[in-house]
Amino acid sequence: MSNKRSYKCEKVIERLHKKVSRQILGSLEACVHCGMCTDQCHYVLANPGDVSYMPSYKADKLRKLFKAHIDWTGKKFPWWVSARSLYTDDELEELKDTVFGKCTNCRRCSINCPMGVDMATFNRMARGLLVSVGVMPQGVAVVAKDQWEIGNQMGVLKEDFLDTLQWMQEELQSEYDDPSIKIPIDKMDCDVVYSINPREAKYDPRTIADAAKIFHFAGENWTMASEGWDMTNFGLFNGDDELGGAVARRCYEATENLRGKKLVISECGHGYRSTRCEGQNWGQKDVNFKMESSVISMLRYIKEGKIKVDKTKNPEPVTFHDSCNNARSCGLTEEPRELLNMVCMDFREMYPNRAENFCCTGGGGAMSMSEYTPRRLKSAIIKANQLKETGAKTVVTSCHNCVDGLSDLIRHYKLDMKVTQLVNLVANALVVPEKRKAAAEVATLVGYKILLADDEADTLAFFSTVLEDNGATVILARDGDEALALARKEKPNLITLDLSMPGKDGGEVFEILRKDPELSAIKVCIITGKPELRRLIYDRPVTPPEGYLNKPVANEELILNMHKILGVAHDGKKK
Amino acid sequence: MEVQVSPTGMACKPIEKKAGKTVIRLQHGDLTALPVDAFVFYAKEDLEIGSGYGTAIQSRGGASIKKELEKIGKIKMGEAVITGAGEMNARHIIHACGPKFQEPDLEKKLRECVMSSLRTADKVGLKTLAFPPMGTGFYGVPLDLSANVMLDCMKSFLEKGSSLKEVIICVIDYRDYVPFKKKMDTL
Repeated sequence: MSNKRSYKCEKVIERLHKKVSRQILGSLEACVHCGMCTDQCHYVLANPGDVSYMPSYKADKLRKLFKAHIDWTGKKFPWWVSARSLYTDDELEELKDTVFGKCTNCRRCSINCPMGVDMATFNRMARGLLVSVGVMPQGVAVVAKDQWEIGNQMGVLKEDFLDTLQWMQEELQSEYDDPSIKIPIDKMDCDVVYSINPREAKYDPRTIADAAKIFHFAGENWTMASEGWDMTNFGLFNGDDELGGAVARRCYEATENLRGKKLVISECGHGYRSTRCEGQNWGQKDVNFKMESSVISMLRYIKEGKIKVDKTKNPEPVTFHDSCNNARSCGLTEEPRELLNMVCMDFREMYPNRAENFCCTGGGGAMSMSEYTPRRLKSAIIKANQLKETGAKTVVTSCHNCVDGLSDLIRHYKLDMKVTQLVNLVANALVVPEKRKAAAEVATLVGYKILLADDEADTLAFFSTVLEDNGATVILARDGDEALALARKEKPNLITLDLSMPGKDGGEVFEILRKDPELSAIKVCIITGKPELRRLIYDRPVTPPEGYLNKPVANEELILNMHKILGVAHDGKKK
Repeated sequence: MEVQVSPTGMACKPIEKKAGKTVIRLQHGDLTALPVDAFVFYAKEDLEIGSGYGTAIQSRGGASIKKELEKIGKIKMGEAVITGAGEMNARHIIHACGPKFQEPDLEKKLRECVMSSLRTADKVGLKTLAFPPMGTGFYGVPLDLSANVMLDCMKSFLEKGSSLKEVIICVIDYRDYVPFKKKMDTL
């Protein structure tokens, strides 16, 4: 075997010496290969007999390197302690497949290790070593670069962010006929600076509106920041401490510069852990304000009588999925349950729960790594069985990654469930004092022609019913070619496009629409059940779509997004 | 919802220095939203726009930029090419290929990349040009190194005379601002 080492391997080994902290050293030395970790991992449980998923096996890939270069035993008796260095770029690719594709850094094995080996911590370190030489899944690169350069991990531009907040503010004002409801931006000296996950601005703005509603009726003196509002942190996932520090600092500095007294972090597991627990170390920065999960804020508002809730508004059975980062890494387990019992009639535990809960399988950045989707979904059978056994129709979680991970596995395993967050349930249960009037139900889409392109008959039936009930004229296409023909004939105001369709797929149809001068002005909303295909749309050499939704889509969400894309206000008037 | 000064930029006071007849300005802001003659995009050899600033270029600029790049094809390490900026506030984009992820001869390649950007701008007679901190962040070029190389290149190039009246270094946060300010203070 050649002892010549590739340039990238040299760099990885150089950096390894700088990255082995006392905590990592302990974890690398302490393993006695007892096997206690094996049955804790959802990948192992879903792939019995495949040793490559065993936490101790995965850990040994890095341990061999550590033995070869740092530990004295490996230098004296390399054959005895299985010391092995890295030599080729192929070996780096192999390591990538393990540390990114076979572990979600959920830490379930870590808390069950009798020796205290924290597998997730050094798996993250291994990711960081690979990222430092540019070896990472494509999706990880895309997201990390967006967070470095745009300031948030979904590449939401400032004008789009502000536009979304403005839109949600108008929706709330219209819903309650109350112009005093605001979503303040960059207001100085507030008690609360509210930070969010960019997924909320891009795909789920209703959660922002729900939070704003709660802050408003609680009489909170609050604001959002126009920059530094993203509390998520891809540095936790890709192991890049520089990114972790930069992102956390932006969030802290926005709060400091606005002289905010408290940074409230919306429901996001890794965001909470990164901002509340890890960011000050990564960013080497102390902060002079408090930090709190929005779950705790909402709970306090109820306990202090600032808001009133009526749990009969949420009568359906719900269960709760503990996010790994919230529960295992931050101990946030009891507050969400206390809150759930205040706002829901029928809360049922899933088992195991709290720190012993299984990962949603979307953690550790897994939702951005489309190449590993089949193995992710295979391992999700463990979670699917857990969900099924609760008998609940709704699973609540305090994490946006979990929302996506759970939605994907629910779709894959055809579970009859929906996913929601605590903020949605609290907002729904809110007893609004002296509510002046809700806007009358009006058909808001009268005069708009909408073409729905999807090969699933159920989806077409559901979307067309919702849109026709709101006054739209609806045209249906069952494949890409029919969608194009109908677009040319009917010239609709908006087309919704599924990505996977017979004939021309949604991506091809989208590009043709955009390149055709007669059709390019038609607004397009991508609606797909395959979020991993999202990037393919944005990589096409044409202007991006006006909207994007992940299936399943609730009727309120569908209408809200049609309004947004068509520029229609809550009351049906043109904005 | 008018926003005057963004909260991440409040501590980043603009600084100006002169090199020849050109003003070099360090400021906080959104590179791809600046109303300049051109801004520099840290490109790959294949000229794929990708994410990050590329996301903003595609969203704000429209499809024409990608079409122009497809015609150009590829560039070599250290080279730069210029395209239009579509519907953006800037008129042009200079796509400059720099080193990535600890690759060998990093400093030399970075220097070539910055110099190529300046030469390209000068060649077409641009007056205002904006740079990001070249190679830092995602591609891992250390901030101190980037600040030293960029400002040294700018100083040596601009002191010989140029069409450029203003060269901006546009940072996204205070972390980026500090090493550039430190270097600016020595000019």
